[in-house]
Amino acid sequence: MFSEETDNRIMDTAVELENVTKTFGPVTAVRNLDLSIPFGGLYGFIGPNGAGKTTAIRLLMAILLPDSGRIAVLGHRAAPEAKSRIGYLPEERGVYRKMRVAAFLEYIGSIKGVRDRGLHRRIERSLERVGLGGTGRKRCEELSKGMLQKVQFLAAVIHEPDLLILDEPFSGLDPVSTRLLRDLVLEEHRRGATILFSTHVMPAAEEICQNVVMIHRGRKVLDQPLDAIRSRYDPRTIEFEPLDPDADVSAVGSLPGVVAVERGPRGYAIGLAEGSEPAPAMRRILEAVPAARLALARPRLEDIFIGLVSETGDTEEKKRQLRANLGGAGNGGPG
Amino acid sequence: MMRNICLIARREFWATVATRAFVVGLLILPATIGLFALIGPHIFDPDGFRLKGEMAVVDPTGLVAAELRKLYDPGAVAARQGERIAVPALPADIAATLGQGPELHILERPPGADIEKEKAWLFVQPKGMPRLALVVIDPGALDPAPEYPPPAAYDFYVAPSLGDQARLEIQQGLREAIVNARLLARAEDGAALRAIFDVPRVRSVTVTQTEQRETVGGWNTILPFVFLFLLFGGVMGAGGQLLTTTVEEKSSRVVEILLSAVSPTELMAGKLLGQMAVSMIGLLLYTGIGIAALASFALTGLLDVSLLAYLFIFFILTYMVMGSLMMAVGAAVNEMKEAQGLLAPLTVVFMIPWVLWFPITRDPDSVLSTVLSFIPPVNSFAIILRLASNSPPPWWQVWLSILVGVASVFGAVWFTGKIFRIGLLVYGKPPSFSTLLRWAREA
Repeated sequence: MFSEETDNRIMDTAVELENVTKTFGPVTAVRNLDLSIPFGGLYGFIGPNGAGKTTAIRLLMAILLPDSGRIAVLGHRAAPEAKSRIGYLPEERGVYRKMRVAAFLEYIGSIKGVRDRGLHRRIERSLERVGLGGTGRKRCEELSKGMLQKVQFLAAVIHEPDLLILDEPFSGLDPVSTRLLRDLVLEEHRRGATILFSTHVMPAAEEICQNVVMIHRGRKVLDQPLDAIRSRYDPRTIEFEPLDPDADVSAVGSLPGVVAVERGPRGYAIGLAEGSEPAPAMRRILEAVPAARLALARPRLEDIFIGLVSETGDTEEKKRQLRANLGGAGNGGPG
Repeated sequence: MMRNICLIARREFWATVATRAFVVGLLILPATIGLFALIGPHIFDPDGFRLKGEMAVVDPTGLVAAELRKLYDPGAVAARQGERIAVPALPADIAATLGQGPELHILERPPGADIEKEKAWLFVQPKGMPRLALVVIDPGALDPAPEYPPPAAYDFYVAPSLGDQARLEIQQGLREAIVNARLLARAEDGAALRAIFDVPRVRSVTVTQTEQRETVGGWNTILPFVFLFLLFGGVMGAGGQLLTTTVEEKSSRVVEILLSAVSPTELMAGKLLGQMAVSMIGLLLYTGIGIAALASFALTGLLDVSLLAYLFIFFILTYMVMGSLMMAVGAAVNEMKEAQGLLAPLTVVFMIPWVLWFPITRDPDSVLSTVLSFIPPVNSFAIILRLASNSPPPWWQVWLSILVGVASVFGAVWFTGKIFRIGLLVYGKPPSFSTLLRWAREA
């Protein structure tokens, strides 16, 4: 049973996980995970490859069963009861290759509980909306990978779900398709759907999500609204580009509150001391050296994540590897 | 839940049935049987063979060669052809239609001829009239000693090109000629003696409570085979299809989308039912063709209707067990070639009925037949063979076998359900049997 507090909350939340653990042999993929997503939320579930995101999502979808802990979805204490109200785009996407596109969407819609006689018309409109008009009679194997990903997204939303779960939705998409998919996700959110999407590409999460849940080695390390994260993790870096590229900036290093000045490819990164207010420091920098550009660096999620998960003694190489993993070479973030 | 199962079953059914491969596969068996029925007699007809050529005979008795000439006289040959269809004087055109009889020219050699030289006669083969054999009759051929085995009555030398059928036919003729010569030597009336020994075999009449009919030879052997074939073919075909579609759904990754909408149990049940409907089409079609064939020969009375009911019951039970296990294998592997190792035990199970078909039909009440009737999953094959045999098992054995079948269905479906839940989402190295068992315990 859920705890009494959680029990009361179930009816008000779209997703409720309490102390969920899942192991595969010796590997603990998800460890004591708590998660609460309110109706209408837009959550980014982020972490590097292998962090446990997909397993957590499969648990949520009741595709896998937890070893321990409780899961409630859309007010149902057993996730399978809510399956027809959930849209799901798995990380490993697939279609029936020989099936026609419209028939595939119709089939998925049917097993998702759509009994609408206008389903066929709705499918045609959806295909038009994503630029696949006229492909309904084509077999899935005739479509390109990008086109198929759009079809798969439509399969996830064809039944207008209350909860939309997208596992690495932007993986492998070109910039144009990425932007289209991002718009479609936001459209679903405006319609009223609660959205949870996982990604290991942090910029993707920064661009569209309201709340961020960070997971590392099966454990939740952060769960906050994006704005709160940004304000919590105060910027400590000022980006500075002198008007004269050859200007002497040594004076900046001795200004009050400044602890570091590092030259970068496009100017300088000026580090501030703990507790220093950025505004007076910026004023003093301007007075010391005329600037072509002076801006407060926004804290990036990947920096926050690395800061959270890095252990004392972690080498720069280890951090670089983690950063590369989060940057997702070959995995385009939203444009 | 039932709605989802039906939707999955419907897709599975149409995805299989609405393909050219299915239609061709379904029709290929009756088409092949029909083709053989049409052209088989022309290809395999033993009457199509005709003995033609020359045979040299060294006959110190002076009687055997003469009997051989009489035997292969064209008039005598035509008369025997007529006897085959009970027409004493066979018109020439009918004789031509039936096929001509043997044309064997007997070339008599002097009794003291050099046998080695005569053998050389076989080395040269003129076109159109082949030299088939040299026969050297033993001088004592007409006075055989009363010993067993009897001494050889002749030596037989043949050309390398002489076929088995021709050799046997010549030896048959020689036997007849030597017997006739022996009777002639004793001034016995050969025809009268032959009449004494000739007791023709009559056709038996099978008597039932409702009718009596001419016994159909081989029916008690053919019927179990046909039922075994129908049961095996239906289960094997549908099982293979289940394996293939499961592997395809897993390897194409569509399975996770399905599992987001339905439970593994619903998916498994839907697939099982869908393919069962597919194989039912084949079963009904072939059964229908069989009944139609019996009806066309007015032989429907040979078939006990309850046998058909049992066929369908045992088909469903066997299909559920074997289909489930095939699906479990499909869920565990990533591609078809990985399935071979796990399929080995199932293949052995499929082979058992064919190995045991003959011993079971020969002795349906033996201990082996009875014991096998209660060992899943071969119990269905064993009991259906017994049911179709000339000594059906008692009713309690049939229903006990059905109970065993139902229990094994529950076991197989339970096991596959466990494997499905884990295996469908596990990629990488294919599992071993011990891993499968561990999955079944853990799921």
